[in-house]
Amino acid sequence: MTACSRRSFVSGMGALILMTGTTMKSAAQSPTEKQPIRYAMLHDESACIGCTACMDACRETNQVPQGVSRLEIIRSKPYGEFPDVKYEFFRHSCQHCTNAPCVAVCPTGASYIDAATGIVDVNKDLCVGCQYCIAVCPYRVRFIHPVYKSADKCNFCRDTNLAKGKQPACVEACPTKALTFGDTNDPHSAISLKLKEKQVYRTKVELGTDPNLYHVPARPGEIRR
Amino acid sequence: MNSPFHFPSLVWDGPIAVYLFLLGISAGATMLAVLLKRSGLAGERPEENNVLRCNAWLAPVSIILGLLLLIFHLTKPWTFWYLMFNYHHTSIMSMGVMLFQVYMLFLILWLAVIFKFWVLNLVKRFIPKLTDFAEKTIDFIAKFTGPIEIITLILSVALGAYTGFLLSALVSYPMLNNPVLPALFLASGTSSGIAALIVCTLLFTKESTHSASIAFLHKFELPVVLIEAFLLFAFFVGLYLGGGQKTVAFQTALLGGFWANVFWIGVVGIGIVLPLLLNAVAKDSLKHRKGFMLLVAVLGLVGVLCLRYFVLYAGQMTLA
Repeated sequence: MTACSRRSFVSGMGALILMTGTTMKSAAQSPTEKQPIRYAMLHDESACIGCTACMDACRETNQVPQGVSRLEIIRSKPYGEFPDVKYEFFRHSCQHCTNAPCVAVCPTGASYIDAATGIVDVNKDLCVGCQYCIAVCPYRVRFIHPVYKSADKCNFCRDTNLAKGKQPACVEACPTKALTFGDTNDPHSAISLKLKEKQVYRTKVELGTDPNLYHVPARPGEIRR
Repeated sequence: MNSPFHFPSLVWDGPIAVYLFLLGISAGATMLAVLLKRSGLAGERPEENNVLRCNAWLAPVSIILGLLLLIFHLTKPWTFWYLMFNYHHTSIMSMGVMLFQVYMLFLILWLAVIFKFWVLNLVKRFIPKLTDFAEKTIDFIAKFTGPIEIITLILSVALGAYTGFLLSALVSYPMLNNPVLPALFLASGTSSGIAALIVCTLLFTKESTHSASIAFLHKFELPVVLIEAFLLFAFFVGLYLGGGQKTVAFQTALLGGFWANVFWIGVVGIGIVLPLLLNAVAKDSLKHRKGFMLLVAVLGLVGVLCLRYFVLYAGQMTLA
């Protein structure tokens, strides 16, 4: 008994080529199909003056209790000789990873990526507080909300400012316009343009998280982090 | 704020280490109990075998205690049942919740068949109407004893490795995000299971230290400890050669500080070297003394508990 005769092999391969061929063609025919929104943020460290207005705005808008924070501006040690001393400022907040470890490890699905916007968010009612996401986050931006007892972090003001059609609170509050927020899937958005024009970096990309928080380095030379 | 038990990168603390320890005991003890029963050494009446009788308490009690610790470690303990109704296939923890339930189910089935008369007596005393039904059910389950034993064995191995996988999913900690961890936890869990079975059997029953069942458990002790020691070695060589933060994690964990002491004194000294040394130098007559066997088993248990604490805490000290 021949399990695979030449005849059936040839016809089978023909069918395979035909099928794979058509799918390729149909995908190529509709390149302009609209992609979903992929929100990202850019922190321009060369423009940031470390005033922390963003931190206060975040706390107020999202009613983040004292003792925890969704956003922190970390001040570096002083660089240079007196009187020419400079500090550098680093934004520490959720990176809204495309391949988010916190979402992958969540046992109940409380941590999720909103398919419409790419925002990583937490369903506080489904969260049991196992803290697996807090432990797994390489960026250390998650915490237990003291009131809700669920995991919490920046969600780009998804349920506050964004829901009202405004920019995230930190972006609105920044006096030096160091923050840019927008859709990286839209090639004409402000953030897409800036990402093309400026030299930017992301942190811990080697972990495969594909973060969506970009930074413009504070100065030329090697990036300190 | 910076002390061995409180540091900024620490998320999971003490109760989790004890939980990992208890789970290892349950998995290891069940693994050995199934092997003992299948080896035929338990005889025609396994319900009278002291090791199996001890495991019937030890395995369920340790896993239930562990799970209670885990549940009350949640920030919202009373929502723990969400875990049983929302599964997420990418989450090791979620798969673990599934594994617990299947493991407990098969453990109960296996124990119910072995301890049929004990179960029937309980049913007769409290719900006499169900006695007939219970007897028929157990007799029906007993037809599948072979497959149930094999599945229970596989599940106990899976449970022993599970705690390792749980921690190795943490990409943020280079020391924990390590492929050797599940094998290491399986080996050390097995050795803690053997030790716990020996301690319980010698303390709570009149089992002779010369019995075939104790000898069977004893036979596994040395190979398992040697495998554990090798895996520990491979674990740290892997970190040392890993470069970057892995090498930093190696240095932070082993080269000084509180947790390095826990490792060298507790894990290596008390848990591995001392039992090996005692067994090597003791005469045969001493080796069969109850006190000596208890001492060696307790040393092993202390070593494994130290390993769980050490891996959990030292593992969280270094970030990727």
